[in-house]
Amino acid sequence: MHTYLLKRLLLIFPTLFGVAVVTFLLIRIIPGDVVELRYSGDRGAVSQQLLDQERARIGLDKPVWRQFATWIWGVARLDFGQSMWTGAPIWQEIKLRFALSLQVAVMATIVAVLLAIPLGVLAALKQDTWIDYAVRVFSIAGLAMPSFWLGIVLILMLLIVFQWLPPMVYTPFWVSPWQNLAQLIWPALAVGYRYSAVATRMTRSAMLEVLREDYIRTARAKGLMQKLVLSRHALKNAMLPVLTVVAIEFAFLIGGLVVTEQVFNLNGIGLLFVQAVAHRDYTLLQALVMLVAGAFILVNFLMDVAYAWLDPRIRYR
Amino acid sequence: MRRWRGPFIALLILALALPVWAQEKPRSGGELVFVVPSEPPSYDAHQEETFGVIHPVAPHYSTLLRVDPLDKTGTKPVGDLAESWTVSKDGLVYTFKLHKGVKFHDGSEMTSKDVKASYDKILSPPAGVKSLRASAYAAVKEIEAPDAHTVRFTLKWPESSLLLNLASPWNWIYKADILAKDPQWYMKNVMGTGPFKFVEHVRGSHWVGKKNPDYWDKGKPYLDGYRAIFISNSAAQVAAVRGERAMIQFRSFSPPERDSLVQALGPKITVQESPWDCLNFVSMHHQKKPFDDKRVRRALSLALDRYEGSKALSRITLVKDVAGIIVPGTPYATPPQELEKLAGYGRDINANRAEAKRLLREAGVPEGFAFTFKNRGIPHPYEPLGIWLIDQWRQIGLNVKQEILEASAYHPMLMRGDFEVAMDFQCGFIVEPDLDLGRFLSISDANYGKHKDTVIDDLYVRQARATDMEERKRILRTLEKRLLDDEAHVVYTLQWHRIIPHNSRVKGWTITPSHYLNNQLDTVWLTE
Repeated sequence: MHTYLLKRLLLIFPTLFGVAVVTFLLIRIIPGDVVELRYSGDRGAVSQQLLDQERARIGLDKPVWRQFATWIWGVARLDFGQSMWTGAPIWQEIKLRFALSLQVAVMATIVAVLLAIPLGVLAALKQDTWIDYAVRVFSIAGLAMPSFWLGIVLILMLLIVFQWLPPMVYTPFWVSPWQNLAQLIWPALAVGYRYSAVATRMTRSAMLEVLREDYIRTARAKGLMQKLVLSRHALKNAMLPVLTVVAIEFAFLIGGLVVTEQVFNLNGIGLLFVQAVAHRDYTLLQALVMLVAGAFILVNFLMDVAYAWLDPRIRYR
Repeated sequence: MRRWRGPFIALLILALALPVWAQEKPRSGGELVFVVPSEPPSYDAHQEETFGVIHPVAPHYSTLLRVDPLDKTGTKPVGDLAESWTVSKDGLVYTFKLHKGVKFHDGSEMTSKDVKASYDKILSPPAGVKSLRASAYAAVKEIEAPDAHTVRFTLKWPESSLLLNLASPWNWIYKADILAKDPQWYMKNVMGTGPFKFVEHVRGSHWVGKKNPDYWDKGKPYLDGYRAIFISNSAAQVAAVRGERAMIQFRSFSPPERDSLVQALGPKITVQESPWDCLNFVSMHHQKKPFDDKRVRRALSLALDRYEGSKALSRITLVKDVAGIIVPGTPYATPPQELEKLAGYGRDINANRAEAKRLLREAGVPEGFAFTFKNRGIPHPYEPLGIWLIDQWRQIGLNVKQEILEASAYHPMLMRGDFEVAMDFQCGFIVEPDLDLGRFLSISDANYGKHKDTVIDDLYVRQARATDMEERKRILRTLEKRLLDDEAHVVYTLQWHRIIPHNSRVKGWTITPSHYLNNQLDTVWLTE
């Protein structure tokens, strides 16, 4: 088990380095840079001299390999530098947004799990009945509707029916739980529904597969109650693929709610991503990609640990 | 009975007028919540270019002069920190008397030393400090502070735009002692003499200011404070106003957005509109054939049916007026009947297009000649304007392909001169010919079409130094004719149109042609 975990841990570093190299090079291929965008402004009149002066100030005049070496040395010391657009330290830019994105991701995951597991199990148990069809329609609708579209519909419904709009400014949960939930419950519902659709379908198919296994038949033949067969034998084994889907979706939500955050005006990591790309803020964008990559790697690592815990064959291999 | 009739009528008039008067009397209190579509990269307006700095941060500062917040043309300078001023007979010395008892937010007194230090930073910034508008003050020879409440500007030559340049919304007055210690301090800190004190800025979220009880203009500001919410998505901005989470957005909404707000909120929304000191024009590269030929350039202008275009486009995007080089409705604007004499501005579109075709034939441009028009990928008003232009040019036998560039690739393309014909743009912070026309000088970095025209260069200098308004107007008319007609260096489309639908509770704010003006919020108040 320890060797297995150690191997997984050591794989993190080359993966992150690969992400760093690819990100660094890719964003420099896109035309335009932060200096041009910041000073071209509304008037569109700016001297070449000023642009060159600013590029030199933030180090964009140096060769690419040197810029990379400086940046990667900083990353190795957990110093991501300063935003090229605002001049503020990167950690400061990310800190507040991360709390919000993490909360939305957690809330959406709770919504998804609360919907997906009971519905998926129910659909599997009542296969080919009207209940199964209803659950399948509900989940396919969730897959078909983009969460940002559902978000727009939710906002319009709140505005037109209730003449009410969620708060536009984020309030931390510990400052005002009501304000916080009044703002974040709507994106969590919009995102959680789509997320639940994927998980519901996975739960249903995994359950259907497990329920046909010999050990389930044996358990039933031994006279075990249906409740115990489901909770002790079927559900635990069916959860492996569901766990994978839920975990990957969770990691995606940390930085992937680009459009939904715009629709609800959430000051999260997704919106910061958009701004970083639009401003060609290389340092911020690199840090964000590393953060999201880190989140995926961490979630994958935890999933490996959970797999080993759920399935002894993995840890003994 | 008859002797009571006079007083009775007077009383009746007073009684009828009273509710209106009571309604319009400024009321103190309340927090103004407004939307800002952009966010300040830094807090130092001297070094920034975006309205994202002005809208949330300007209420913390004062300027030497300001543009009259009640003047719809946005062209009338009035005192802000300056109580009064005099101009010498030769137009070379401007002496400003400052208000006494003005305090910075840290409690220290503001004096002429601070004004001089701020302007010294703008005119000749120390090494490593940028100043984006220093060139507007080329005429200034010297700034002096002879006593604590007097500032004197001495010029090298008379300059008609000086007062408006000193009313620039970018020229915030900073504290001299702070600038002496660290000229970059104001990039990350806020401390002025304005009507509101700084409370907090949460990046990506909001900016908060609270009333300055020691503001020099006693009785102002009326608001207890303000909250600026940063929302980049336009649908979310409209939703914020519609859901009454915000009261106003000071840049502009599009006509469909205005209509949806009016339809949803009825009398709860008030709409203010104005010609906007922003404009899209077509730049044609003068070193690329056939656009080196003025007949071809004139043909491109003659093809445009600006009057019909105005009717159609003003329903869907941010353009409206048919205009020359100066914003309509402002002192130097060309009257419509005079404008109609310019190529492409006449009312007879068939005659214009026949002339355009003749010019193209004469220049040897064949029927169906193809070129690429490069446009910026921004919905309002670039994209509808681009489609309109292509349609108009097709009607004189040109085959135009549009290439849309993402915002960050667009400006480098213009600077490299990597185009035959491209959408260009201009947005001024005050309607002032010196500021709006500088880009058409041969040596300007923003002369992307690369025309060389010493006549225009000379006319520009002459109008800038003309101290008589009528004489300046005459020179500007000549310059306009040369730029848009005789040489047709550029093709003007339609003047942008600013639309501010705001919550009817917001009072004391007047729209101007610039979204950089009138953001100190000292005159703004809220009804109950």
